[in-house]
Parts: sequence; C-alpha cells; structure tokens
Amino acid sequence: MSQATLESVAASLAQPALATGISAPLVPLVPHSAESLHLLDDPHEWSAFSRRSGKAADCWESSVVVEGMHCAACSFTVEEAIASVPGVLQVQVSAATHRAKVVWSAAQVKPSLWMQALQQRGYRAVPANDVFASEQRRVETRKALWRWLVAGLCMMQVMMYAYPAYTAHPGDLSIEMEQLLRWASWVLSLPVMLFSCGPFFSNALRDLRRGSVSMDLPVALGIAITFAVSTLGTFEPAGAYGREVYFDSLTMFVFFLLTGRWLELRLRDRTAGSLEVLMNRLPESVERLNLQGVFERVAVRRLAVGDLVRVHPGEAFAADGVVEQGSTVVDEALLTGESHALERGPGASVVAGSHNLSSTVQVRVQALGGDTRFGQIVALMQSASVSKPRTAQLADRLAKPFLMGVLLAAALACLWWWRTDPEHALMVAVAVLVVTCPCALSLATPAAMLAAAGNMARSGVLVRNLQGLEALSEVDVVVFDKTGTLTREVLTVGRVLTRAGVSESQAVQMAAALAAHSLHPASKSVLAAASWPIYAGVSWTSDGVTEHAGLGVEGSAVAQAERGGESLTLRLGSAEFCAVASDAMADTPRAYLADAQGWLATFELHEELRDGASSAIQVLHDAGIAVHLFSGDGKASVQHVAAQLGIDDARSACTPADKLAGMQALQAQGRKVLMVGDGLNDGPVLAGAHASFAFGNAVQLAQAQSDFVVMGNQLHAVVHSVLLARKTMSVVRQNLWWALLYNAACVPLAVAGWLPAWLAGLGMASSSLVVVANALRLNRADFSRKGI
Amino acid sequence: MDILYLLIPLSVVLVFFILGGLWWAIDRGQFEDIEREGERILKDS
Repeated sequence: MSQATLESVAASLAQPALATGISAPLVPLVPHSAESLHLLDDPHEWSAFSRRSGKAADCWESSVVVEGMHCAACSFTVEEAIASVPGVLQVQVSAATHRAKVVWSAAQVKPSLWMQALQQRGYRAVPANDVFASEQRRVETRKALWRWLVAGLCMMQVMMYAYPAYTAHPGDLSIEMEQLLRWASWVLSLPVMLFSCGPFFSNALRDLRRGSVSMDLPVALGIAITFAVSTLGTFEPAGAYGREVYFDSLTMFVFFLLTGRWLELRLRDRTAGSLEVLMNRLPESVERLNLQGVFERVAVRRLAVGDLVRVHPGEAFAADGVVEQGSTVVDEALLTGESHALERGPGASVVAGSHNLSSTVQVRVQALGGDTRFGQIVALMQSASVSKPRTAQLADRLAKPFLMGVLLAAALACLWWWRTDPEHALMVAVAVLVVTCPCALSLATPAAMLAAAGNMARSGVLVRNLQGLEALSEVDVVVFDKTGTLTREVLTVGRVLTRAGVSESQAVQMAAALAAHSLHPASKSVLAAASWPIYAGVSWTSDGVTEHAGLGVEGSAVAQAERGGESLTLRLGSAEFCAVASDAMADTPRAYLADAQGWLATFELHEELRDGASSAIQVLHDAGIAVHLFSGDGKASVQHVAAQLGIDDARSACTPADKLAGMQALQAQGRKVLMVGDGLNDGPVLAGAHASFAFGNAVQLAQAQSDFVVMGNQLHAVVHSVLLARKTMSVVRQNLWWALLYNAACVPLAVAGWLPAWLAGLGMASSSLVVVANALRLNRADFSRKGI
Repeated sequence: MDILYLLIPLSVVLVFFILGGLWWAIDRGQFEDIEREGERILKDS
C-alpha cells in the first residue's frame, strides 16, 4: 500500500462519520473549532497536559489521547500528520493506548497548529490531563522491568559459573579456577544485590523504623544472610564458610520473587487502567453560552451551575444537567450498566460522563465536579477499594505474629543445625525465611473482593463497602420492600367490567380512541390493550379531544365502520371525572369510561413486571433463596405481582414499621435477610438487614444507606451480585486454605533442611501468584443470565 | 586451559555490556508497545 492509499483509506474511514454526523458503530468525530484549539495556546493551560522537556530550550512534551484511531496503520498516519508540522521535534503514538507523546518547541509552534494538522486527517487530539499519574506509573513499570531483567540476566550467567562446581570431580578444578569462578559470580551478584533487591531492603528498613513487620523483612534478611555467607566464602576460601558459595541460589530466588512482583504489578496496572478510563471520560472543554448570547468554548473547570452548554454528538457531557433544547440518544453504559442507548428529550436529565450519540443538545448545568453522579461514583469506588473487609483485617492481624513465628523458627532451625553442621545452618535459616508466604495470606481476601467489586461495577452495581460482600454471600432470604422494584412504571389492562349490552372489546376500542390523545400511563395501557387479539373489534375515531390534567380525557368518538354513525361523547379517566361511584373496595388503579348516560366500563390496571423479573426470581429460587415481598401497596396488585412471579410470601399494605417487624421476625428465625429497596425512605429497614441493595436511580448515591447500589434498573444485577458474592467467598476460602496449607507444608520442610533456597524462592513467588490468579477468575464470572 | 583466566573475566564484562544495552532499550520505551514494530511491515513508505 502506498502512502497515498493509506491516507485515503484513513480519510474514507473518517469522512462518512463527519459528513452525516451519525454512524452506528463509530462515535462520530466532531472537530474542535479553531477557537477551542486556540484556548490551548495559553501557556497556563500547557501544564495540565504537558511538561518541559529537557531536550532543548523552551521545549515541551505533551501527552494527548488521539480519538478516531482504529488500527496500527492509523498510528503511522497520526505520527506523520503531527511530525509534518515544523517545530514538532518528536512524535510517538501508541496504538494500544491511543496516546501520543509530542515534543514540540514553543518558539516555533503552538499546540493548536499540530492539533489542527491532525484534524485535517480526520483524527482528533484530546489533551490527557492525567499525564502525571500515568507518567509516574510508567516510570515505576520501567524500573520494575529493569530490576527483573538485571536479576534474570545475572542469574543466568551466575548459573554458568556455578555449573563447574556442581559437575567437577574432586581434583578436576584447580583452586585458582574455583576462586576465579567465585569472584566472577560475586561481581555479577553485586548488581542483583544493590539494584534488583533495592525494594526488599528499603521496605524492610521502612517497616523496622515504624516498628511493624512485613513480608519484606524475612526476604531481606534471607538475601542479606546468603550474600554475607557467600561473600565470606569468596574472600576467605580457607575460613568456616569457604566450602561452598550460594550466589546461584541467591540470584535465582531474587529472580523468582521479582517475577512474581512484576506479574502482580501488571495485574494491578490493568485494574488501575480501567479506573482511569472512567476518570478520563469527562471532556476538557465545553461550549458555553456567554453574555453576548454566543456559544464559546471554555475549559470545564470554568463552568458554573446554571450555565447553558451545547453538547455535540460524539462528545461526553461535562456536568449533570437538564436538556433544554433538542433531543438525542445517550450512552450511559459505563455509569449504569445499561447497555442500550437511551433517549433524552427536553426536560430529561443527563449525567456527566455519559456520551451524546445522535444530535446536538443544549443543557442547563445542575451539578459539577464532585457533586455529579459521576463524581459520586468515582469517589465511592475509591473509598470502597480502600475499605478493608473483616477477613482481610483478621489476616493482617495474623500476619504479624506469623512473621514473628517465622523469624523465631528460622533462628531455632539455625541453632539446631549449628551443633551438627554449622555451614548448612545459615542456609536452612535462609530457606525458612524465604519460603514462608504471609503475602498469600494477606492477599487472599482483598484480591478476590476487589476483583468481584470490579465485576459488579461493570454490571452496574456499586459496592459501598467490601464487607457487604461477605454478608451478601450468606443471605438465604431476599425481601423486596416495594412492588416498584419488581414492576415497571408501565401499567397494563387487567379485567374489564362493562355495562350490560357493551362488549369488552367494544369498550376497549372506544376508550382507545380517546386514549390515543393522552400520554398518561393509564391511557397508554388502554391504547396498548386495543391492539391485543382478545379485544379486537371495530375501531373508533375520535374528534375534539381535550385532556384535563389529573382527571382524564373527553371527546366525541364514532365507530369507523359505520359511516356517519352516531357520535358519542365519551369521558375516560378517574371515577370523579366520569361521575361514577368509585369502588371503595378497589385496591388496584382503575380507569373509567362513561358516556352521556353514565358509566360504561371500568378498566382494572396492573403494573407490568420488569423485564427478566420472573427469571431473576426463578434463579434465586434455584439457588435456594426464599423470596418475600413486603409492599405498601394494596392487596390486589401485590397478589397479582406475587402470583405471576411465584413469590412465597407477599404482604400488602405494610407500613415501614411492619416491614421492620417482618424482617426482624425472619432474622429471629436465624435467616439472613437481603433487603432490596429504593433506598429513599426505608433507612432503618435497610440498615437492619444483613445486606441491602438500593436502586440508585431515585437516590443521591452519597445518601444511600445500603451496602450496594444498583445504578441501572435491571433486577438481574441483584441476582448476579448474590451469586457472585457466594463465588467470591468460596474463592476467598480457597485462597486462605491454600495459603495456610502451603505454609504449613513448606515451613517444616525448610526447617528440616530439605528445601534449597532457590526452591523456596520459587515456592513463595508461585504461591502468591496462585492466590492472585484465582481471584482474577472472578473478573470474568457472569451469572446475570444463566443460573448458578 | 589458561585462556579461561581471560575468558571468564571477559564474560563478566560482556554481561555488563548486555545489561547496558537492555537499559538503553528500556529507557527508550521499547518494551511498552510490543506490537508496534511487528506492524511496521504494513507501512511501505
């Protein structure tokens, strides 16, 4: 492919999206206006995404996220586009992260110039404001890689030097040669000791100063003892330790330990990366209506509540707000787990961090920064990830005496062996120090719980504290405290009662003619019923329909088939509006139809079940969990819902006190109760339950009193969480057992002197990896659609 | 076999050279985007 064709391919990829403004899989790219780019030419803005580069005077290094990149070929096009601008010294684009690093000279070029050059090729550059955080992580990763490689290379070479000592027959190896090999090993062990082991020593020292004990102390001790013994052997071949050196063991176990740490760092980076994706969703700048009545692009941090902003398709909303003009489709998947695009018209609220997909809208800002839903979610995720579950606290408390025990065991083993074999004694102590793995013990719980919390966040459930997961895994009763958690806000027509001489289908069709002019949920339900086969009949047309807010609709209707037939004046609405005696016994919502002679028909309305409600309840039953419904609604509608779902125990007309009493009665039987509510006015019930869920679309997240908040409204998320929590606790138990058994088996082996130091290092590194890898299985678990 | 007295120290020096090369590679970020160089073949300008 020549350069020209490559470019035209890239251009053709970008062009249709630009031209039509919509495209299904691609988020359309909207070029920044030249004006918005010039904002970035202010040197005060530079420090947010750039830093001074040491390469030349007045040189800056900027980090930008390139939008519109799909493949590796794009990264070359992007590089060329930016590099072709005079004054740009160096460009580096990563296809994997979609990030570009641009080094440019402030004397010759401004950021807007190279960003415009990029836009002409159909891409868009967004300044990356997290440049410092990611830079710090990159330095850390590089250093860890470098430490690991030094240890690995030196280990290989030291092994070469050790090889003759293992295979030579007595007398094969001259004393000078053996000495030379030891010297060479010592020289190559130095970088491992001084550089690769740096973190072990510095952490051990830090812990000693603080008077605490951590994993790194026995490791550092082990390394130091081995090196000291071997160094003595090298420089005093005739001395007490002159018979053998252990540089090969030393470098090998350092290499194994570092391999374990390196893999852990990579796994952690992946989690941090996904959180960062969430943080980076807010745009940098937004179009705000200024005093002159013109939209002008300003940085997001200059926004204030009450501003009117214009958001183009393809952009993310910068703040929570209400749509004032236009209507669009938004993607809230990352915030609520709702995978479908949602329609938002005038008056609808939009949340920061969601994406505008289809058309330009004007939004009145209502909340900014930390006050937005998005800000609350990020804050909750951060606070939950540092909270410590009880088992983890227990493991941490155990770790200290455990480490003390290990140090003691090492000392005792050393003393024991000293009497018979003083040379061997120190290496036995080293093996004991290195093989013990309290980090598997203290990693067991948090690793599994964090993986589970990440999984739940993806399916739209926020974990407010990790402790809740433990409680959630034990529940055997689920109580829904609202009919509304099981039903949608949509009503359906149930029974139809009619005046003698009027058929049910006739009544439905007459009512539907009026209902077509109203948006009230009851009207919608009647209209929907008119298309059902059982109510099929002659359809009616209406004329002169007026809607009386809160009462009903009124108008004249005529059957379509009878041309010029008799026109009836009809009223559809509440009992009062239709002037009929309301049925005092009725406890479901009803709509009435009346004509000039009075009552014509009554429609019983039922709340429609949420999608998947019955399968969710079924999965709960299959998992051995009883389902109860304590509702404040009337008996008939509660019974109706309960019967459809097969709920064991449904109580109607409950006051909050009734609900609390009912829950306490269950708890008195020794049941563990999970409350699912809307989190608004049932605080005591939620707080008293073993574990609790709140549906978060009604509440301020920060005020929700439940352990978990469901951000969307899928009932399946609750089921998924319960099953995931059970799985999580079983993983935690597996991890704890593994850590206990491993230590119980290996420490005696090491004390007995059967475990060489290198094998001990391998054992310890793999033990903590087993724990982390086991926990990561939870990342992929998906219970939302299937059963257990 | 006297040559070993020269070769073994030389091997130590060689290891340090290799380490130097690795440092250079890491410092230039060559391990951060492993796929990129493989995909360079797609480009023919």
